[in-house]
Amino acid sequence: MTLGVGENLLVCGAAGSGKTTLLGAASGIVPRLVTPTSFSGDVSLDDKPLHEISRDSLFARIGVVMQNVEDQLWDLGVEDLIAFPLENRGVARGELRARIDHLLTHFMLDDLRGRRVLSLSGGERRMVAIAAALAASPQILMLDEPTTGLDPAARQRLTGRLQEAASQTGALLITEQDPAPFEAIATTVRFIKGGQLSASRPAFNAMADQSLWHEAGILPPRRSLVPRASVTPGRELLSVREVETRLARKDGAPVLNGIDLTIREGEVVGLIGRNGAGKTTLFQAILGLAPIRKGAVGIDGQPTAGWTVARRARSIAYLPQNMRRILFNMTVREEVVFAITAGAKPGAETEAQAGAALAKYRLGDLAESNPFALSARQQALLGLACADAMQAKLAILDEPLLTRDREGRQMLDRFVDSFTGRGSAVLLISHDLDLVAELASRVLILEGGRIAFDGPAGASWTSPAFRALDWAPPQPVHTDFAA
Amino acid sequence: MTRIHDSNFFVKLVAAFAVMTAAWLLRDWRAGSALAIVVVGLLAVLRVPHLGTYLRGAALLVLLVVASWILNLMLQGERLDVALPVAFAMAARLVTTTAVFFFVMETSTPGSILAACSAARLPPIVTLVLSLTFGIIPMLREDFERIGDAQRARGMEIDDVSLPMRLRFALARGVPLLVQAIRMAHAISLSLSIYGFDLGRKRTTWREVGLLVEPRLQKGLSR
Repeated sequence: MTLGVGENLLVCGAAGSGKTTLLGAASGIVPRLVTPTSFSGDVSLDDKPLHEISRDSLFARIGVVMQNVEDQLWDLGVEDLIAFPLENRGVARGELRARIDHLLTHFMLDDLRGRRVLSLSGGERRMVAIAAALAASPQILMLDEPTTGLDPAARQRLTGRLQEAASQTGALLITEQDPAPFEAIATTVRFIKGGQLSASRPAFNAMADQSLWHEAGILPPRRSLVPRASVTPGRELLSVREVETRLARKDGAPVLNGIDLTIREGEVVGLIGRNGAGKTTLFQAILGLAPIRKGAVGIDGQPTAGWTVARRARSIAYLPQNMRRILFNMTVREEVVFAITAGAKPGAETEAQAGAALAKYRLGDLAESNPFALSARQQALLGLACADAMQAKLAILDEPLLTRDREGRQMLDRFVDSFTGRGSAVLLISHDLDLVAELASRVLILEGGRIAFDGPAGASWTSPAFRALDWAPPQPVHTDFAA
Repeated sequence: MTRIHDSNFFVKLVAAFAVMTAAWLLRDWRAGSALAIVVVGLLAVLRVPHLGTYLRGAALLVLLVVASWILNLMLQGERLDVALPVAFAMAARLVTTTAVFFFVMETSTPGSILAACSAARLPPIVTLVLSLTFGIIPMLREDFERIGDAQRARGMEIDDVSLPMRLRFALARGVPLLVQAIRMAHAISLSLSIYGFDLGRKRTTWREVGLLVEPRLQKGLSR
């Protein structure tokens, strides 16, 4: 693979295809900072092998933002992180301050001034990390799945900034599952599958050729959406009535300010809203992790006042995007056993149930592996297996990773079918509007701490609440229902 | 009160050492206890974050120290009325010491420590050691709480159980905490490398540093 001056290369592949490793090797992180069991071949920058370039000079010339952005962050402030590469290189204070000020304003991150990076939402962290990567004006910018966790407006903002950055930096290398946001800036596209890279193609041609994407195992960027067959909703599983949280915004207003919603048996409900709208706080309030000042939460027809978090969690399975946050057992099998028993003594059938759940999500061979040693994709599948095995009434899927590659999507569909088929329900929190349009029968729009829209998915995209978000609607939806 | 939180890390450190020295020089248990109460009271007045967690730990510390010193001294043949003041004096010193360093840790972010060290033109290795020593403990504490929340959110009952069971569950968080600590160390090391931290080069800082350390960059006030 070569990356020429002025080239904006988009490398697309399914989860687990080798995108992250490719970016690691191209940037010099592998084998310079992360040593693999074996490594061969050469990577050169301006005809000079990377191993002959000093580490400082290499990472001054190549700016990197990893997919799991937490892997390159620690507990610094927003300004500290952006300034860090410049402070480390001894840049004078006046210049530093001007650069931070410019980047914060340019990336529309002014509201985050003075905040700790680790207290930000996933999307906000990513934008700050990208601003930090650009701070030292690198020659090449390399981004691994940069739109993960960004709402559509933030994606648009990011691609705008990248377009400007591309004209200033020498080249861009972006690895992604979702090519759509980069249609306007990618000059060339390559596909990666099973560790093999395809020939380079002009982006414009590649975007329109659906067969290329299918072959690479990814959902094409321009496709008509096929919604799931909706199930007639049954009795009420979750009710949230006039909930107001103690957690408040900077202006003193509660993060959730009078939330009212109901989820019924068999439903798949999509929850959308801007980064920082309160989506995370909403599920925390439902689980009892965020204390509420007013209102009530009911699960399966019972009021939950006085219930512990654990008692609520036995009915509600929560799957964050970063599954590492909720894993704590030593083997994959133990994670599923824990999901079934909640720490109680396993029954005679437990091991068999756990094995069946792992096999269902193609994790049978990894049963004795350490969950922290799995890839992000495998951890996401483990989350599905755990939630399925515990037979929860409701699953809350927070920005699932398995949405853009065909196999991952198949697993997600299997999970949703399994849940709705037995009369449970799914709350899908996502910025991927195509996914919401395909899976959800009903959409909730969260804005300003309130549910601004609650209605059928089809009607949501033309609602005033959606228009107020100023987001592009999802792709056209086929009227024929999926089998 | 935020302005006191924003004091230069070294000012806080010097003040903490001064108070600690005073606490250890006080021989009378009543004076030592009074100082401990004043220091803890100040933490409340200054609204130091996570004070409740500290107070629970401090209560346990007082209990253990008093019990162990009384037992120790009585085994050596001292009377209870002699052992009690010694035990209280020791507990008071420890509470004062832990309280002042709790203040330093809770109110000093790694960024503000980096800034104070960089402004003082300290060698990068000192800067790194101080930032990590004082910065990593709150991060690990947050991770400990987060793992607890994850266990709750997965249905593990750790609230509505007896105290010994709670302690057992807290100990069980050690393994994931260790895994997380290793990941954190890896993330910090990667971050230092890709953002150009070099032990051979002195750093600068974007912050204005004097007796106070500027907590945020006001928009448009970059010069």
